[in-house]
Amino acid sequence: MYVRAEPTTDLNKNTEWFTYPGVWSSYILIVFFSWLIVLSLLGTSPGTAWTIVHLSHFFVTYHFFHWKKGTPFADDQGIYNGLTWWEQIDNGRQLTRNRKFLTVVPLVLYLIASHTTDYRNPVLFLNTLAVVVLVVAKFPNMHKVRIFGINADH
Amino acid sequence: MITIPYLTALTTYFSYGLLFAFGQFRDFFRKIFDWWQASNLQGYAPICLGLEDFYIRRLYLRIQDCFGRPIASAPDAWFDVVERYSNDCNKTLKRTEKKSRCLNLGSYNYLGFAAADEYCTPRVIDSLNKFSASTCSTRVEGGTTALHEELEECVANFVGKPAAVVFGMGYVTNSAILPVIIGKGGLIISDSLNHNSIVNGARGSGATIRVFQHNTPPHLEKVLREQIAEGQPRTHRPWKKIIVVVEGIYSMEGELCKLPEIVAICKKYKAYIYLDEAHSIGAVGKTGRGVCELLGVDTGDVDIMMGTFTKSFGSCGGYIAGSKELIQYLKYTCPAHLYATSISPPAAQQIISSIKVILGDDGSSRGAQKLARIRENSNFFRSELQKMGFEVLGDNDSPVMPIMLYNPAKIPAFSRECLKQNVAVVTVAFPATPLLLARARICISASHTKEDLLKALEVISQVGDLVGIKYFPAEPKKQLQPGKETIKLE
Repeated sequence: MYVRAEPTTDLNKNTEWFTYPGVWSSYILIVFFSWLIVLSLLGTSPGTAWTIVHLSHFFVTYHFFHWKKGTPFADDQGIYNGLTWWEQIDNGRQLTRNRKFLTVVPLVLYLIASHTTDYRNPVLFLNTLAVVVLVVAKFPNMHKVRIFGINADH
Repeated sequence: MITIPYLTALTTYFSYGLLFAFGQFRDFFRKIFDWWQASNLQGYAPICLGLEDFYIRRLYLRIQDCFGRPIASAPDAWFDVVERYSNDCNKTLKRTEKKSRCLNLGSYNYLGFAAADEYCTPRVIDSLNKFSASTCSTRVEGGTTALHEELEECVANFVGKPAAVVFGMGYVTNSAILPVIIGKGGLIISDSLNHNSIVNGARGSGATIRVFQHNTPPHLEKVLREQIAEGQPRTHRPWKKIIVVVEGIYSMEGELCKLPEIVAICKKYKAYIYLDEAHSIGAVGKTGRGVCELLGVDTGDVDIMMGTFTKSFGSCGGYIAGSKELIQYLKYTCPAHLYATSISPPAAQQIISSIKVILGDDGSSRGAQKLARIRENSNFFRSELQKMGFEVLGDNDSPVMPIMLYNPAKIPAFSRECLKQNVAVVTVAFPATPLLLARARICISASHTKEDLLKALEVISQVGDLVGIKYFPAEPKKQLQPGKETIKLE
């Protein structure tokens, strides 16, 4: 079956790939398959596998969405060098559909991870910490905010 | 409008994710190794900032042999490609002495002027002997020869405008003119797929830039209405000037611009139009005068017409055509005219001679033959490719046809397999096109014969089966029907 790809008006080549069809499904499928791989390679219980997936998802998405700044190519002459990927998508507009989706995914992962580990204590604390940090980083009020100057420009 | 099979979209995202992840792993280990070994570069500043060259190092360099292939002859319909080899997985490429004769499907050689021509080349050599290879001076100081005056008049007549000015380089024409004709307090509305030179010129001008969805006149109207109602960004004063920038043929899509509707909208809201005909001048239209002739738009309605001579005329340089007052103003203010070396005299003579051939002023009908041939070749090639099941973009009559590849692994596969069978194609990937939509771009020329096209079709069909890019069902073989065939897609 076919989908139509309409050309976007986003000039930032680092973020415009997120506006094409199929991204959301790919994201969900990649998370699901990584759970299957962790489950089959490490042989742990499903709950521990979900916790591992949730925490590694936290590390990967925090690093690439909220820590790394700029774009991986030099064509745009560095106009986005002070902005993280999260601040660049949708041209900086807040509360768009893409942003809402990306905020919901860690929450759903948190619910699945905590449910399948029966809310036991050490992992529950780690999972909650991860989801709180991720969701707070995605608030509209945190746009371009650098707490205590961490990760600010020179 | 591009139609992607859903599964292909998913696998393309997954492939790029995998490539990105591997690149990040390698960078991570590289950082550890570099920290471990002391480097002898103390006191030197880094050339690149942070991760700026990640794409080049980890994605582009892996398939570097598909881009920038050196050639050893003029880029005619058949040319010599120098073979290269690499000992370190494509990080460095070394040239060999061997050359292979390949069919050229990548050069912008629309009318066949890229190689020696029986009318143009003797005259070019004459002017090389008479005027030397370069004027070594700017236009205002000593660089205006009789050839330059004749060239500007010739171009103005050809395009259908009162006056024209010519520059030595096509990219510079856009990036040096836009800052001069508009400044802070003005508004530039440009198509989302405009060329990098226009984007650079617009950024350099200091005007506010807004983008409208590619080739969608209703969205252009919506953006215009919104911007005119809001006014300048903070003061909300009315805009000093509004310029809408569009291209004649978009080189990555092969689509023609919807010029009549856009002109109607701009007249209604009193905005200026800037038309960049880099690929369409000389290649489309009954007498080769570009997209205005093809779509029936009066050239008086388009305020500034820009074009380049690299594609259809076999030369170099760019021009701006407009009213006499506009060209006079540009000659006083444009830095490309005042400070840059003027266009080289043999190149100018090549343009004058090729325009004469196109118009038939050389006494033969070769110009009309070339125009008819490129139209037939493009329509034939495009319809055959669509019948085989490839996804080909572009409108009828356009000599540029991109074949969609999508997956990043198919880019080097298609390119290398075609080269093995002596067909040289150009593949285009990420920064020039959106991430998902990698493509192989075929440019048809008037010097391609029917046998060349049939051989190309055979090779592309074989390679397409091997690589798996026939995304649409192929048409069943039926007898050749005369006239226009309508292609039914899913």
